[in-house]
Amino acid sequence: MSTDALELRGLSVSYGGAPALTDVHLTVAAGEMVALLGPSGSGKSTLLHTVAGFHAPRAGEVWLGGQRVAAPEGGEPPERRGVAMVFQNYALWPHLTALDTVAYPARRRGLRRSQARAEAMAILERLQVAHLAHRRPSELSGGEQQRVGLGRALARQAALYLFDEPTAHLDTHVRGVFLEELLTRRRETGAAALYATHDAEEALGVADRVVLLAAGRVVQVGTPEEVYRRPVDVWAARLTGSASVLTGPAGEVLVRPEWARLGGDRTAQIADVWFRGPHSDYLLNTPDGRLLVREPGSPRHRAGDTVAWTLLESWALDGAPGRRGQESSNLAGPE
Amino acid sequence: MGVAALLVVVLPLVKMIRTAWLEGSGNLGDVVSRPGLGAAVTHSILLAIAVTALAVPGGALLAIALRRSDLPGRRLLLLGVLLPVLVPDFVLGYSWLRAYGGAGFTDDLLGVAWDGIQGPLGVTVVVAVNAVPLAYVVAAVGLAARAEPSLERAARAAGAGPVTVLRTITVPLLGPALAAASILVFVLTLGTFAIPQVMGAPTGFATVTTRIYANLSRSSDPAAFIEAILLALLLVVIAVVVVAPADQLLGPRLRATRTAATDPAATAGGTRKPGRWITATISGYLLLTVGLPLVALVATALTQAVGLSPTPSNWTLDNFRAVITVRNQEALGRSALLALAAASILVVLGGCVAALERTRFGRSTGTLVMLTFVLPGSTLAVGLLITYGRWLGDTALIILLAYLAKLWAFAHRPISGAVDRLPPDELSASRVSGASPLVALRTVVLRPLAPALVAAWLVCFLTALHEVTMSSLLYGPGSETFAVVVLNSAELGQVGRTSALSVLLTLLILAPAGLCWWAVRRLDLRPAPSSESVDVD
Repeated sequence: MSTDALELRGLSVSYGGAPALTDVHLTVAAGEMVALLGPSGSGKSTLLHTVAGFHAPRAGEVWLGGQRVAAPEGGEPPERRGVAMVFQNYALWPHLTALDTVAYPARRRGLRRSQARAEAMAILERLQVAHLAHRRPSELSGGEQQRVGLGRALARQAALYLFDEPTAHLDTHVRGVFLEELLTRRRETGAAALYATHDAEEALGVADRVVLLAAGRVVQVGTPEEVYRRPVDVWAARLTGSASVLTGPAGEVLVRPEWARLGGDRTAQIADVWFRGPHSDYLLNTPDGRLLVREPGSPRHRAGDTVAWTLLESWALDGAPGRRGQESSNLAGPE
Repeated sequence: MGVAALLVVVLPLVKMIRTAWLEGSGNLGDVVSRPGLGAAVTHSILLAIAVTALAVPGGALLAIALRRSDLPGRRLLLLGVLLPVLVPDFVLGYSWLRAYGGAGFTDDLLGVAWDGIQGPLGVTVVVAVNAVPLAYVVAAVGLAARAEPSLERAARAAGAGPVTVLRTITVPLLGPALAAASILVFVLTLGTFAIPQVMGAPTGFATVTTRIYANLSRSSDPAAFIEAILLALLLVVIAVVVVAPADQLLGPRLRATRTAATDPAATAGGTRKPGRWITATISGYLLLTVGLPLVALVATALTQAVGLSPTPSNWTLDNFRAVITVRNQEALGRSALLALAAASILVVLGGCVAALERTRFGRSTGTLVMLTFVLPGSTLAVGLLITYGRWLGDTALIILLAYLAKLWAFAHRPISGAVDRLPPDELSASRVSGASPLVALRTVVLRPLAPALVAAWLVCFLTALHEVTMSSLLYGPGSETFAVVVLNSAELGQVGRTSALSVLLTLLILAPAGLCWWAVRRLDLRPAPSSESVDVD
């Protein structure tokens, strides 16, 4: 008997014979926010849509709040699973106004039209889009549309929220504001959430735990800190941020850009420099390989300069991808 | 381009109004009070309303049911639903008579015959069956364009059951498409001729189109001629009254649809397996409305005489031998040649109009072309007859002119649609890569347009091949088409021979259609499905 908001037991899903998800085990505790991080085609949407009830598993089970809702032999239809979903492409109904869209879930709960609308208006007010209540999707901007989509999900009053790359189609400057809104509202409801994204910064920033997906399989599960600092392989490391691989006598080690700094006892030549605004990135040609170093402020060197540098931290990889890395606080370099 | 449209559409209309005015003003009272006139008009309107009420919901239901990609036997069902398009409406009507009428298939085998089939009820049902594929296509396109699966999934995730989703999301989204389908079916039924002629006329059930035919080909009474012109004009008036406000109302909404591909994986069906009963129901419908009638038609064609049971001992090829005469072969060749010429000219014209439409000056041409689509064939034929009959009278040229006028929209629609779907950047990219406008047209525009051009040509060719509404009014001695031969044979009451001719006519259309279908699949000329619309990760 599980009281987790969501539990996936050996879930496998396929499309016409092609496997989309393979043997996925995952739990989301009540009130927990879990990010699904993976490149496009890794099975994030498939996972969410299977939890919501739009795909049937080929093997394995889906449990919601201690109840089995999906198994190969059959399952509950989506409307009886009590999950709310925010879609990547908004999925707003072109014939309904924002108000009626947000009132829709309440209507399905059996509320009368006036009650449902009053409830929807309250949600729109909380999302600061009450003035858009009588507009249709074609009269809304992307950010406004997704707010309405979020409002619709909130109106569902669910124990589990499914966010399917909700910011993927939003402009950068709208994205941050919307994401903040989403996180605040989710926290207010106290519900659990599964947040799919291909953006490492977003996944690390929003979630209590991060699940890395590759080709339909779970590659790693951990806190944002864990998956960032102790990735299982180079692929997982690159998915969660920039990383350089240096080859020393102890084998390959992984170095994040902020794990090294300029100045110190080693020397290298600068291959390239990029100004990034708050910081600058230097690509160093070291004897052990190419290394990306991140320093605050504007560039202080130019390509071709020889500079000194220090390694602060590294993470040892066992060579073959997929095997577990070993933490090492220092790198014994050949001097 | 405008001139061409003017010559084949506008001038005949003006000429008709003028003739009706000049010759009809004196004895208008006599004409209007002719017996049966009011009944024919009433019949036409009631028929159009009834057929719309039957065919549009039918087509919409088919479109919704067939969208499920996991439906057992879906590919065959799709083919079956569109099959009636390739069966000439005349043949469909006649084969229903052979299947369910007196001395027909079910009468012979089971002793069951439908007495009312030769009358308003039979005509309504068969015209509706004939119109269902059109309603289906319009509804399916509307579904694909507006009802994306994610919209229905959002409703399911919001707590709505499948039936509620259908009621609150799918059908409202289909609204504009259903309205468009209703208008199309209504207007086309108004102008339908072959089925009422072959099923209704023998028992005295006349519509406006069959009355025009009777007036022009059976009567030398000048009042009948005037009446035919008035009726032809009346058809246009009704069509325009129905279409014009609807186009105003719906035009922008219909045109503002996005082009989304159909869902590659699954629709919002949830996790439950689709009922086999959907497949069974659709199969049963197709079997009863198309399958059995065609079997009955072939059986009649192969049986020695009416009344004999269609068993192998009574089979014969005599009916086929009897209809393969020099005259019929000439008619066949004439039909093929006319269809070939019409289709080839129309594809060029359609391409020109599609290109011209994009300029400010040409927009009205596009509208004019759409007008020819709703212009009933009978009206066009009467107009062409009084405008050009004096010079072209009994030659096949006037029939060619009629085909060009009537089928223009058939060529224009697919080509224009394909031009709309061309990404504008591709042309720009070829121009900045150094291509002159003509080279750009040849290298990056024509190739993606090829499927649409082929489709347009094929649709025109096949439709022209079995066109009978206008041909039957325009042919003269030595210029009859094959479809007219079949119609005349039916009116002489030669059951076996008419069935044999109908079978030949259907084969004549199915053969090139099947060949092209195979070629298109083989060469994969179809545009690749856009990968953008795939929402599954």
